[in-house]
Amino acid sequence: MGRFLAKRLGSMLLAFFGMTIIAFGLIRVIPVDPVEAYFTMNQIPISEEGLASMREEEGYNRPLLVQYSTWLVDAMTLDFGESFVSKKSVTAELLQRFHVTLTLAATAFIMIVTVSLTVGIWSATKRGGFIDWLSRSFIFTLASMPSFWLAFVFVYIVALKWGLLPLMGWGSFAHVILPAGTLALGFIPYYIRLIRSSMLEEVNKPHVVFARARGVKESVIIRRHVVKGILPQLVTSLAMTCGGLLGGAAIIEIVFTISGVGRFVVESMFARDYFVLQGFIVMIGGLYIVFNFVADLLCALVDPRVRIKGDGA
Amino acid sequence: MKKKIALISSSVLVLLLIAMAIFAPWLAPNDPYATNMALKLQGFSTDYPLGTDYLGRCVLSRLLYGARVSLFIALSVLVVTLFISMFVGLLAGYVGGIVDLVLMRICDIFLAIPDFVFALVIVGALGGGIRNMFIAIVLVSWVGFARIIRNMVRSLKESTYVQYARTIGVPKRKIMIRHIVPFVFPQILLLKLIGLGSTILLISELSFLGLGVSAPMAEWGMMISDSKTYLMSHPMLMFLPGIMISFTVLILNWFGDALREAMDPKAI
Amino acid sequence: MKKLSSFLLIFALSIVAACGNLEDKKQSTSSNPKSVLTMSWVKDIGQVNPHMYAPNELFAQAMLYDPLVSYGEDGKIQPALATSWEMATDGKSYTFTLRDDVMYSDGSKLTAENVKRNIDTVVDNSAAHSWLEVVAVIDNVEIIDELQVKINLKEPYYPFLQELSLIRPLRMLADSGFPESGTTKDGIAKPIGSGPWILTDYQQDSFAEFTRNENYWGEKPKLKKVIVKIIPDAQARMMALEKGDIDLIFGSGQLAPAEYQALQKTGKYQTMISEPSSTRILSFNTTYGVTQDKNVRLALQHAFDRQTMIDYVLNGLEQEAYTLFAPGFPFSDIKLEHYTYNLEKATQLLEDAGWALESGATFRTKNGQTLTLVIPYNSGDQVHKTIFEYLQSAWREIGVEVQLIGEEDQLFKMRSKTGQYNLIMNDTWGVPYDPHMYIRTMTGDKQIGYYAQKGLAVSEQLTANIGKVIRSTDEGQRRALYESIFQTIHEEAIFMPLSYRTNYLVANNELANLSFSKQQYEVPLKNFEVK
Repeated sequence: MGRFLAKRLGSMLLAFFGMTIIAFGLIRVIPVDPVEAYFTMNQIPISEEGLASMREEEGYNRPLLVQYSTWLVDAMTLDFGESFVSKKSVTAELLQRFHVTLTLAATAFIMIVTVSLTVGIWSATKRGGFIDWLSRSFIFTLASMPSFWLAFVFVYIVALKWGLLPLMGWGSFAHVILPAGTLALGFIPYYIRLIRSSMLEEVNKPHVVFARARGVKESVIIRRHVVKGILPQLVTSLAMTCGGLLGGAAIIEIVFTISGVGRFVVESMFARDYFVLQGFIVMIGGLYIVFNFVADLLCALVDPRVRIKGDGA
Repeated sequence: MKKKIALISSSVLVLLLIAMAIFAPWLAPNDPYATNMALKLQGFSTDYPLGTDYLGRCVLSRLLYGARVSLFIALSVLVVTLFISMFVGLLAGYVGGIVDLVLMRICDIFLAIPDFVFALVIVGALGGGIRNMFIAIVLVSWVGFARIIRNMVRSLKESTYVQYARTIGVPKRKIMIRHIVPFVFPQILLLKLIGLGSTILLISELSFLGLGVSAPMAEWGMMISDSKTYLMSHPMLMFLPGIMISFTVLILNWFGDALREAMDPKAI
Repeated sequence: MKKLSSFLLIFALSIVAACGNLEDKKQSTSSNPKSVLTMSWVKDIGQVNPHMYAPNELFAQAMLYDPLVSYGEDGKIQPALATSWEMATDGKSYTFTLRDDVMYSDGSKLTAENVKRNIDTVVDNSAAHSWLEVVAVIDNVEIIDELQVKINLKEPYYPFLQELSLIRPLRMLADSGFPESGTTKDGIAKPIGSGPWILTDYQQDSFAEFTRNENYWGEKPKLKKVIVKIIPDAQARMMALEKGDIDLIFGSGQLAPAEYQALQKTGKYQTMISEPSSTRILSFNTTYGVTQDKNVRLALQHAFDRQTMIDYVLNGLEQEAYTLFAPGFPFSDIKLEHYTYNLEKATQLLEDAGWALESGATFRTKNGQTLTLVIPYNSGDQVHKTIFEYLQSAWREIGVEVQLIGEEDQLFKMRSKTGQYNLIMNDTWGVPYDPHMYIRTMTGDKQIGYYAQKGLAVSEQLTANIGKVIRSTDEGQRRALYESIFQTIHEEAIFMPLSYRTNYLVANNELANLSFSKQQYEVPLKNFEVK
């Protein structure tokens, strides 16, 4: 168990460092010179001496490896420098908006888990029925719609025409429902399919067949054996989804004008505020490690086979 | 039987979709680029079956031309990533060892960053436009498949016939081409086809943010973003391109599902 | 199953915790709702540093801080913090007498020393203000006594008082507002001003609450409070107005013409359009590609269908413009022949210059070069995009190819600075900047106006005249110089004026005494009332 976790953690840490290289490299490959961008953003006229002294000050003329290591050390202490636009610390700017995105993503997460477990298990047990077909078709149709568009349709119909929920913005729990629902919809079909197909597979496994032969009640079989069997795969997928939720939140936040991290990052991208992007990538990387580690831990706890098999690739 | 019906009817729809894109110039009732300010924001009519947009351009014609852009980019992404994923996957899976380790760790990095964020950062770095959007989508799409191929190759390597071929001294390259690629290729093609729908969604998301195609080209995501201003007064302008995207994605997803069930009911 | 439910429970708890955060956010309205106005704004107001630019919002800076002198309705300079002033006969120094009843919102009094401190901190950071001649021209500030300061200039500068009245950077911050480092280029400690409003509550990207300054030296605002809600999306603003969350949407920056008209058509609101405030112009780059050719510029002037654009893109909300500045602006009453819409003439001009349309070709060519215009625009601006998309399609008819490059704000600005364009959208700034400041940018390196004239044969002469007109202290000479400058600009066809921009507002019927300010970036909230 310990070895397995250590191995997984090791490969995730490697991925994390890879991401820091991408985050760092980003600012070197862009067509816009960060120093020049800084001058323009602050409406300071660009002069060669000014640029040179700023480069000197910021250490842009030192060897890349030196720059990277200083940057990394700063990044590890959560110091990503100052945003060009607001001139506040990038970390503060990100954290300030983070709880909004987290609320959105967490609500969507709960919606995903509850809806897909309900529909997935139900449709697997009632396989082939009309209701199974109808509910799945409905959800799959919704999932084919681009989330940003669906968001507008919801805003138009639910909020504007019916006046049921607040239109846009943030403030109360009612504000969270539409955006979180829109966000969740994109992921739900995948999980329904996953749950349904792995349950169907699980149902035919010897121990389940045996339990049924023994006369164990069907509901108990589902709960004890089948659901337990699909959990590891489900948990691992959900961990991957956490990152996707944070990414998908961006476009939802834009449409619903919620000032969360996602929208902030998109705006920073438009403003070429690269320190913010760097900080965000590193943050996502950190979260990725945490989510995946937790998922591995949960899987190993649920299913002893995972511990022994070990190879997570 | 049921599977067959699903496969046939969804293939027909996919073919119709492709035909619509190819024959757009003949199907479109008007020039999709011709503006006519005096006729802007018109409702449905015989001349303009789905009305006109904010520059008086024919909405139906633009929707038809939009199919070309989305499908063309999505299919090119498919072809290009197919080769990249095959190359990386085969290399990692067959050579193994340090090559495998390095390539898979690179895959880890790409997988750790959410697709949309990654595409956004790349387009942000390179600037908008159709070419850069294409590059960004390729960069985020190859990785998952490369890993699947690598895992397939690794299990194939252990299969008896490859083992046998190796013992009798068939060269590595020949084993790859003869025994591994023919087995892996159709499965990956299948997976890629299933993924077409999500590529189209990603294209529309980036275009919606103004990072995709440039004016005056007709593209569904951009059409949605352009009609934001008219949501209250002319909601149809916003609804129609979205319906097009939804239908396209739905048809492609359905086709993918039907194909998968027909080929191998148990896979993935 | 148990594990799953505990897993769910943890998430449910975390969300409840997160939602708790949401509820306590305060969106307060005071006990008497009648005297509170809520309006929307596009962006956060920033730190409201009176001496710096973005992300500080102009309207908020104008609410909190006062200038020494202000720009009156009739264009005359009026007393503000200074009751009177005197110019030395050589025009090289001004002595100001300050009001003795000005109190900052922290209770401190306005003194000559504080004024000197403010001006010094701006002059020390002159690099940030290089576009503004007034900062460059100030030599030093002398304290004469408690309430008298003398500003010495390096050389005479006629628009000195006008530029002192600008919303930024020469307005006064209380001593307690200065940061520890002592210089406001590092930000401010607190937004403490002497203006009609006090910033009493603020949450970044969410709202700002301004309360009437009961100790204001001038006429006090009628409203008790103004709450500014930050709503970046136009649709959301319209919906907020519809639901009564806000009372007022002020400014053309917040609503596209179509949106303004959609609200107007509902008949539920009062709507208002201002007098022309500035000019929308398209500026050529005479140093780049095909627009170096004067005939191409002239042809495009004649192929420019203002009327259609104003009727259909701007929904008739603005008036067509043929001159760089509206005739009412200082020195701008000059008779110039208009370039009228005439496609035949445009085609003829192109033919004459050798831009021929080969049979079967869509676009004109000359010596193998295609007649292509590179036009970048800010992709966030729907109106600009529409104008250019229209031009793209209209100019295709006369064989001119338009390559549109929609770019994000930052890259767009960069591109405009590097001059990689043929044509670009560029509004003038309105009073009190126009005409002298806009004209002056034509001599500044890497400015849009600079690229407009740099490629001309008469560039040197024009630059010299612009240098002279700003230094001139003689009104007659200035008039003559301006006339010659405007004449050259017109003859060389380097700018295509589109329309005189207007500002507009939409408010619910509760509000009264609504108006616009002369300065287009100011919201005259002082006069507004709630019925």
